[in-house]
Amino acid sequence: MNLLRTYILPRLLQWVMVVFVGITATFLIPRLSPVNPVDEMLARMTAFQSMDPDSFAAMRESTIALFGLDKSPIEQYITYWSRLLQGDLGPSFGNFPRPVSDIIATALPWTIGLLGTATAISWTSGVLLGALAGYYHNRRWAQVIERFVVVAYPIPYLIIAFVLILIFAAWLQWFPLVGGARGDPGFNWEYISSLLYFGFLPALSIVIGATAFRFIMAKSLTTTEIASDYVQYAELAAVPKRKIMLYYVARNTMLPQVTDLALSLGAIFEGALITEVVFAYPGIGFITYNAIYNGDYNVIMGVTLLSIVGIATASLLIDLLYPVFDPRVRLR
Amino acid sequence: MLTTIRDLFRFSPSFRFGSLILLVVAILVLLSAASPYEEDKLRRKVKRNQPPAANYVFGTTSQGQDVFWTLTYAIRNTLVISSIAVVIGRGIGVVLGMVSGYLGGTFDRVTQSIVESVIVIPRLPLLILIGAILRGSMTMYSLGIMIGLLDWAYPSKRYRAQVLSLREREFTHTAIFSGMSTIKIVIREHLPFIIPFMLADVISGFLFSIGIEVTLSYLGLANLDSPTIGTMIYWGNYYQSIFVGRTWVMIAPVVAAILMVLGFYLVSVGLGEYLDPRKRLVRLQAHTDDNSEASPDDADPRKEKDV
Amino acid sequence: MFRKFVFLLLLALIVAPALVAVAQEPQGLPVEVPGGRENLWVFDRIYRLPTEADWNIWKSGIHTAFFHALMHETFWNRDQETGEFIHALAAADPVYNDDFTEMSVELRQGVLWTDGEEFNADDVVYTIDALRNKYDGTQGGWQVQLNDFDAMVEKTGEYSVKFTIGRPNPRFHTLFESRWNGIYMMPSHVAAEVEASLAEGENLSAWVWDAEDMVVLGNYLPIDWDENGYWQLFERRADPENSLAGIITGGSGPPYALGIWYGNENIKKAIAMSRGELDVYFDVDIESFETTLDTAPTARSWYKDFPWAYPNEVSSRAMAFNLEGDSMAANKDVRWALALAINIVELQSEYIGGVAKVTPFNIPPTAKLYELYHGPLEQWLIDLQIDLGDGEMYNPYDPTVPDQIAAWAEDYGYTVPGEPREVFGTGWWKFDPDAAEKLLMKAGMSRGDDGRWLTPDGELWTLDIQSDPSENDAYRMGQAAADMWSEFGVDVNFITLDRSTWTQNHRVGAFEVSTPWQSFALASGDMWPNVRGYHSKYYAPAGEDYNPLGGNSLRRQQETVLDELIDAMEGVNPVSQEAENIALAHEFVKHWVENMMDITTIAFKKFVTWDEKYWTGFPTAENPNYQPLYWFMGGKFAIQNLTPTGG
Repeated sequence: MNLLRTYILPRLLQWVMVVFVGITATFLIPRLSPVNPVDEMLARMTAFQSMDPDSFAAMRESTIALFGLDKSPIEQYITYWSRLLQGDLGPSFGNFPRPVSDIIATALPWTIGLLGTATAISWTSGVLLGALAGYYHNRRWAQVIERFVVVAYPIPYLIIAFVLILIFAAWLQWFPLVGGARGDPGFNWEYISSLLYFGFLPALSIVIGATAFRFIMAKSLTTTEIASDYVQYAELAAVPKRKIMLYYVARNTMLPQVTDLALSLGAIFEGALITEVVFAYPGIGFITYNAIYNGDYNVIMGVTLLSIVGIATASLLIDLLYPVFDPRVRLR
Repeated sequence: MLTTIRDLFRFSPSFRFGSLILLVVAILVLLSAASPYEEDKLRRKVKRNQPPAANYVFGTTSQGQDVFWTLTYAIRNTLVISSIAVVIGRGIGVVLGMVSGYLGGTFDRVTQSIVESVIVIPRLPLLILIGAILRGSMTMYSLGIMIGLLDWAYPSKRYRAQVLSLREREFTHTAIFSGMSTIKIVIREHLPFIIPFMLADVISGFLFSIGIEVTLSYLGLANLDSPTIGTMIYWGNYYQSIFVGRTWVMIAPVVAAILMVLGFYLVSVGLGEYLDPRKRLVRLQAHTDDNSEASPDDADPRKEKDV
Repeated sequence: MFRKFVFLLLLALIVAPALVAVAQEPQGLPVEVPGGRENLWVFDRIYRLPTEADWNIWKSGIHTAFFHALMHETFWNRDQETGEFIHALAAADPVYNDDFTEMSVELRQGVLWTDGEEFNADDVVYTIDALRNKYDGTQGGWQVQLNDFDAMVEKTGEYSVKFTIGRPNPRFHTLFESRWNGIYMMPSHVAAEVEASLAEGENLSAWVWDAEDMVVLGNYLPIDWDENGYWQLFERRADPENSLAGIITGGSGPPYALGIWYGNENIKKAIAMSRGELDVYFDVDIESFETTLDTAPTARSWYKDFPWAYPNEVSSRAMAFNLEGDSMAANKDVRWALALAINIVELQSEYIGGVAKVTPFNIPPTAKLYELYHGPLEQWLIDLQIDLGDGEMYNPYDPTVPDQIAAWAEDYGYTVPGEPREVFGTGWWKFDPDAAEKLLMKAGMSRGDDGRWLTPDGELWTLDIQSDPSENDAYRMGQAAADMWSEFGVDVNFITLDRSTWTQNHRVGAFEVSTPWQSFALASGDMWPNVRGYHSKYYAPAGEDYNPLGGNSLRRQQETVLDELIDAMEGVNPVSQEAENIALAHEFVKHWVENMMDITTIAFKKFVTWDEKYWTGFPTAENPNYQPLYWFMGGKFAIQNLTPTGG
């Protein structure tokens, strides 16, 4: 019971507060932007046309009312919360009147699939390779891998993406240029293989940089860790290297890595914005990008809401699970 | 201090190589002062789209810029932006993370709440929004400050995790029982562990700022009129230089970005080895006796025992 | 053992998806159609629109996005290439009464809806009634405009209708004349049924039109689409000869049409074309176009060779000034000085690639508009004089600009396909920094020790240019100006903004110099519809949004002369009183030019490019039958006579 009161409850409260502050901030910030959804929509609807100015002004008035933006910000804020608590994210302004929840539901699986896979691959390979390279740092293969990583790591993400497109989509023409899959969604080989086919380049572009990042972090942590007394005692005691590596070193370097993993999984809801834009991959990041430029407040808020809840929850879980991963951390 | 550097230079290949790279970078930065073109008048100065040759060492761009001289400004400006970002971001991150890790209690809880609230707000969309709100009045310095202000929450969490883990180590308890003051414990026992981590983290901070700088430029949110690594890549991409075969326009800034980060990384590895309690070179050890400016952990008796 | 295991695991993680991916047949198109690629025409959709499968196109906010041309029809089309007034659903020109309160329209007979019903006067009557009374707001502001004009329509025969217009209007028919679009006709027999089935209190805005229930007059029906908004697939109707496009062109069009979006990067369209996955794209930057020429041997644009691009989209690019605030550019002499500090030949060649037409005012020199404006105004431009301030009257116009560009092109190794004036547009202002210098002196400015210009107060003169990179030529024009003005001693900041922020800055007047585009004249030559928003009654001071007023107060201009001209043009019928209308328009242009309200540089060009690998017969400079701008409503005619090459 004491545990609940001193440890779990405060963290739950913190979660609630973080979510509240985050949502309020995302309600306010887009409204500071000079771009507003009404003028964006009107600009799109009247492009290439010459319209009677008075009619235009009338249309603008009615659009503002239609979007509910004629009310004061406080009223809008209250409306937003009352709708949110009923599970309604409101309509998109950029694709009026399509519900935001619908737009997100269409886009989210793509991002989760892409980022989930890429994160899993890069985290596992980065952490393992980094730990190994850190532990066997005198071996030739470790040095070769490290050199490779160190040179690949600083390459700006966009360059990696462009080069992948250039080589695999333009020259070799092995992979497609845009989109997420072919055919009707279903649990069949044809669709799933097309998912891999379309997702390969975007995922690869993420994996390269992320693996390098994990590798460097893991190697640095391991290098520090193997300097610890217990490792030397273990070595002196002739404990097999593999065992030291696996049971002691790896375990102790896990904490920051797991923390980061949980946070980056939470960040899936934020979307791989740049990846999705560059590879024209359907997903939540692209939706957000467009929403920002259209002043589509409700979509921005819907996506950020997911991100806020996702990351806050991931972070809460980390806090609660800390002791499991690192027994040395005592509750305080 | 000088001795240390000399020894590092002599005995640590990565430090040696890294310093050489940084020296090249530094020379390029210094050369910007000798550029025949003013920083804000680089365009329309030379024949467009020329490949590298004797008169244009790195070629020319589609905007009529000499790639070499543009690059000298770009490296300088990118270093300025990233330094501002790293100093601000890591400054806040290290202090907050370590203090809240050591103090714990209410302070820790309050800071963590703040950190969490910042972390949950997606960064890139926020940057894009801020870019739109600033409506093109972004300068190099404000960009650096903005990146820094957005990149302290994650690092602070990492430092806090490090501290939490170190606090439970056996040697910490030993030190506490032997009556060592907290400050001493932190400086003597923990810093040697934290510094290599911090060096790696600072490198990734640089990388993050360079990456964000490139990304924001790509999205057109930076000041594209001032030469940086990011804006050079933006313009190279804008004129499709990769695809039309004018790769020299892109290669210069990309190689420069790699060199910068690589130089810092290698130097940090060398320093890390030096600072690392166990892996210190035996040769180096011999010199610490006559090195009056040696860092505090040089005197740590534990290391003598370890070697 | 452990290490081996780890490596095997990693290998499996990376290699397995790679193998699956590589094992796929390289094919980037999302759909396959019966008959294969030879039956499928693939066009660039320009935007990604995550849209529901809702084809109720009349409702407010629905994206028309390039499919409207394939499916919907209105009374008339104005061809942008030829300027021709094409009778579409109307069989003749509109006929007005003397005071422009009535308009009679004779309808075309024999156009069938896809369900076999014939288009007739009932459809028109229903459409107007529905748009006015049965929607909560409509596409294109039609509802407000019809209500504002208090437009009523009555059936005067099976194939004829008469509109009565509450507010006299000699241009009422333009609501039904498409450049981008015009009021799309509704199938009354379908919509009336839908209306009857709606719940109490609902109107046609609640109507969700499923693809399988669709009945249209156009040649295509949607059959499949991507819920992420990347593509839409259309199938040709069973009786293309009964569609309007079929009747007018005699062609039937490709059996399937796929609109696909290839991302924000121009180069992707070029790559897609080189992969045979795109038959036509609407525009790219010149670098991507060159990539297309290199990688897709059968691809071409309007001209077979230099200058390739389609030069006649009705718009032009200009440097516009904010006439309010502290900007020095509010001074007419300063604006003239800036114009004379621009080397138009270098701008057009080095920055734009030599592929657009030059024009000194906001009207593109298309064949028809050259005849109406540039030709008749040429002598006036040659005679035009400005006061340099030192007592000298100066003639700024240089009619030889196209010849200079032609000389540049020949130096470059290009062949000029025709007269320089046909290819490169008209004359422009002289490049004369000395004259510009005098003008700035006249404005009270001076040069500092470093050669930079100082304001009359002795401070460094800084000038901000804002531009948006998504419109390539406007952006490059802005850069050219920045570079040239900078060399002339002006401290220029070239500011890049995204499209939304940039247009918002226009609306509130938060800029000094910007790079908008517009044409004062429509393809027909009529000016009033495009300039009425410049009237002072829509003026909003800098710092205030002009959009709520409805007009276009971009420059914050308040010119009584222009107001009078606009009012005069409003009462003139552009068809029956064309000479009078154009004479007023000339006065408008003269006033604009004398005051150098904008520095207009070039007309719109589009690298609308098609690959003849699968389809041929697109309009070209050799065969300019219709505008190649397929995304406009009148663009449908261009695809009607495409013939397969057999791949």
